Amino acid sequence: MSQAAVIPQNAPEVWKLPSRGIVGMACLILAEAAIFLIFVVAYVYYIGKSLSGPTPRDVLTLPIFATICLLSSSLTVHLAVSTLHGDKRRLCSLWLAATVLLGSIFLGSTALEWYHLIYHDGLSIRTNLFGSTYYSLVGLHASHVIVGLLMLTLALIFSLRGAVTTRHTERLQVLSLYWHFVDGIWVVVFLVVYVLGR
Amino acid sequence: MATQTPVPAVLDQTTSTACRPMWLEVLHDWVTTVDHKKIGLMYIGYALLFLVVAGFEALLIRIQLAIPNNTFVSPQVFNRLFTMHGSTMIFFVAMPVLFGFGNYLIPLMIGARDMAFPRLNAFSFWVSAFGGLLLYFSYFGGSGLYGAGSAPDVGWWAYAPLTAKAFSPGHSTDYWTLAILLSGVGTIGTALNIVTTVICMRCPGMKLSRMPLLVWIYLVMSLMAFVTISPLTAAQIMLMLDRYLGSHLFDTQAGGSAVLWMHFFWIFGHPEVYILILPAFAFANEIIPVFSRKAIFGYPAMVAATVGIGFVSLSVWAHHMFTVGMGAGANTFFVFSSMTIAVPTGIKIFNWLATIWGGKIRFTTSMMFAIGFLFQFLIAGLTGIMLAVAPFDWQLGNSYFVVAHFHYVIVGGILFMLFSAFYYWYPKMTGRMLSEKLGKWHFWLFLIGFHLTFDIMHIPGILGMPRRIYTYEADRGWMIWNLLVSSGAMIQTVGVLLFVYNLVRSYFKGAVAGADPWDGWTLEWSTTSPPPSYNFAVIPSVGSRRPLWDLKHPEDPDNNYE
Amino acid sequence: MNNDEERTQSGVVELPSPTAWPMVLALGLALICTGMVTNVVIGLLGLLLFVWGGIGWFLQVLPHEQHVEVPVLNEEIEIASSRRLKARLPASDMHRKILPIETYHISAGIKGGIAGGIAMIVPAALFGLIRYHSIWYAANLLAAGGFVSWIGASDAFLSQFHMQGLFAAIAIHGLTSLLVGLLYGAVLPMYPRYPIVTAGLVAPLLFTGILHSALGVISPILNQRIDWFWFVISQVAFGLVCGFVVNLHTRVRTAQFRALPFAVRAGIHSDFAARNDPAEKADKKDQAQ
Repeated sequence: MSQAAVIPQNAPEVWKLPSRGIVGMACLILAEAAIFLIFVVAYVYYIGKSLSGPTPRDVLTLPIFATICLLSSSLTVHLAVSTLHGDKRRLCSLWLAATVLLGSIFLGSTALEWYHLIYHDGLSIRTNLFGSTYYSLVGLHASHVIVGLLMLTLALIFSLRGAVTTRHTERLQVLSLYWHFVDGIWVVVFLVVYVLGR
Repeated sequence: MATQTPVPAVLDQTTSTACRPMWLEVLHDWVTTVDHKKIGLMYIGYALLFLVVAGFEALLIRIQLAIPNNTFVSPQVFNRLFTMHGSTMIFFVAMPVLFGFGNYLIPLMIGARDMAFPRLNAFSFWVSAFGGLLLYFSYFGGSGLYGAGSAPDVGWWAYAPLTAKAFSPGHSTDYWTLAILLSGVGTIGTALNIVTTVICMRCPGMKLSRMPLLVWIYLVMSLMAFVTISPLTAAQIMLMLDRYLGSHLFDTQAGGSAVLWMHFFWIFGHPEVYILILPAFAFANEIIPVFSRKAIFGYPAMVAATVGIGFVSLSVWAHHMFTVGMGAGANTFFVFSSMTIAVPTGIKIFNWLATIWGGKIRFTTSMMFAIGFLFQFLIAGLTGIMLAVAPFDWQLGNSYFVVAHFHYVIVGGILFMLFSAFYYWYPKMTGRMLSEKLGKWHFWLFLIGFHLTFDIMHIPGILGMPRRIYTYEADRGWMIWNLLVSSGAMIQTVGVLLFVYNLVRSYFKGAVAGADPWDGWTLEWSTTSPPPSYNFAVIPSVGSRRPLWDLKHPEDPDNNYE
Repeated sequence: MNNDEERTQSGVVELPSPTAWPMVLALGLALICTGMVTNVVIGLLGLLLFVWGGIGWFLQVLPHEQHVEVPVLNEEIEIASSRRLKARLPASDMHRKILPIETYHISAGIKGGIAGGIAMIVPAALFGLIRYHSIWYAANLLAAGGFVSWIGASDAFLSQFHMQGLFAAIAIHGLTSLLVGLLYGAVLPMYPRYPIVTAGLVAPLLFTGILHSALGVISPILNQRIDWFWFVISQVAFGLVCGFVVNLHTRVRTAQFRALPFAVRAGIHSDFAARNDPAEKADKKDQAQ
């Protein structure tokens, strides 16, 4: 047996380290936040620099309802984790379903907004700088929402099949961290695009 | 390899070790492995492969520049050569080899059995490896300008608007973008893995204040990667949007800004230099104490300096852009922040000197490379300070002086320390010692070649030779210097070939190393060489920064002094 | 990791099982990228591999991670130093005696810097009032170093009130005061006998000397118009007040103190020569083993 470095007097102390999933997700969030930062910087830098219309003031309307849906989905996913922690699996499925529903509403309203912008206002990614930055920033966020929704749907399916138990609390918590991050980023995007940018 | 086969109850290994597994089985073993040691070795092997390729490109560049009015390669090929040389060396040589060593050493040093996410580790390796292959596939793959060969030719920074569809038709630039994007994904994955491993997988007693400095530095370096590589990824996504979907983010004709790309690129580009040099510091922190027979001087100061470098390096990027015309305020800020970074770096140099001071130095090849690193890194830092002065940079920016400066950092600093690390940890990785005699030859040849090339390269820069030029007229007075530089490159090549020969030869014929050939102090020396797939039969528990010192000198453990 | 012990007892270690799915996923991703530069068919193949690899990977970790049990080899590893000789270099008793075993807490230096900075404003404002009949003159002069456009400014201009000038002056003055205050806190315990006198008189004079030679580079406008007499007075005001405030605070023990033998720490034994021994030991411990 290979002899390892053992110093007896230190053995009894309690050795507890943070969970891998949460630290890993925190790292991922840090990296993703840096990506968003660059897109936000590009957006802010190009505000008012478009050579031709349409301008944000002409075409953008505040997506209040979608924002409320997305932000409240943060609450529902939190409730899903805490109910799973309390071993109420049915309730957990319910909250997960609510989260997926709210997220889908958000995604749907973004899709509607894009449809409107493209076919009614004539703003595409090629039109001007505003179009380029708007679609890239909002699109980046929307793609994160899609990834999050896919994962949540997967969790929901497993939960409905009864495969999710209290043992999986931590994994669901890691997923909920990601979802909180997506929601938090939306606050930034909302402020930059719809408040500052107009 | 034999220990990989699941034999749950039987401890008898004779049958599986006796017959050599067939090559297919070996290949299967390596492709499916999630063992951090094998992945680390694959990283190192693939980086060495690309080192040879990119080194060959450098040789071609030097042959072309050796004499005036040379037409050894065509101008188009020359542009591709320096683009590929730069991109390959940074993304597919330096990053993988450093991550390879990190992958191999970190779990061993903190007393863990594997990385935190072993499968993600394998994924990260494969994705960056495929990225490198994709980059080189461009030589055969798409079509470039006028349908000619299509390797990217926009420089490793790919300044806008050179990358716009109008100026770079075909797919050559896309190959570059996609390859870098893939390598970025791999880098983020590995960095995430390293941070999580260091935070969550330490063995009992391994507090943050007791971690080996190598692990500390890799932690800081990985954290930097999140805020450094991600912006590059974001910028590459934007570039792809421009090229594929026709957006105008870097399109100057639609009001877009070329300078914004420069900012985005250098927000990545400069911290990247520190991401590369920090592991070199990490190796020095482990190797210099062992061969000086003293504990590292100023452990807390070293940690603080590392974290300081990490923070300050995020605010210096625009010193690459003094010639752009950013205005007095921005120039002043970046001059001062660039100079500030010399402070923590200086602390490190002094601490290494103080570690060597009064020690019983053993001049192994590894230690000789480390000492070479100390001197050369100091000189590289000094020319760095010169270039950080904005007016000086206006004079010499984009000249061969700059080329000489950063090659001094990368070759004189990082590569020397990498060679040192190879000589130091090769016995642990393979169980055999590298030949010291060949090593000494390698060291002296490479040292002489290095100084001949890169000391002298400063001079044509001061004389006004711009970088990236294809050729030059005979009456410029640059010829003799370029000839010397190119001949130095040849000597370095011989040195590197000797090194490769040494690697191969020692694997079969080297002296058997044993578990602890250097009388080291960190946990990796407490297990066999090469370590078994589970690293430690019993998870160790440590009481000081040098657990093996405590075991070797129970009468005088380090604990009393920390 | 808790059931580690029993695992090793039974002679096996659990490791994550080898799997090719991460490689398939990576290949899929790379092929998707390749599809973007070559042909869409390759991209579709990549997508297929990507999804396939993703599913395979998913089944590896869920519902529970797959493991292989690797037998532990019985191999004895002796951990011993190859060199049995461990010597310590002879060192004189004077070695490392300068490091203080007591110093001020960092807040003392900050408070001293703030107090000294405020005290310094009085002579500076007095100087402005007497020479130029304006209390803003000194502040503007200090700020002028930071504004390129103010280099040729007239005395009349500098005598007026400028908001940005005031802010710049506060920033420069505040930062410098804090840094110098911290320095005072660190070096005061090391001064012999009368720390306030040395710190309040000698240090400002030395500092003025350095600044006198360097100011032309740092701030040319300040260099032209500075009145060195008043400058020294304000410096001394800073030094005295800062030194006084710092000295009011009680000292704390440095890390050096912990290295002292117990008898000294407990106050039983206060032999000065014995005091530095252990620190020296720590310093020399590894030398020439």
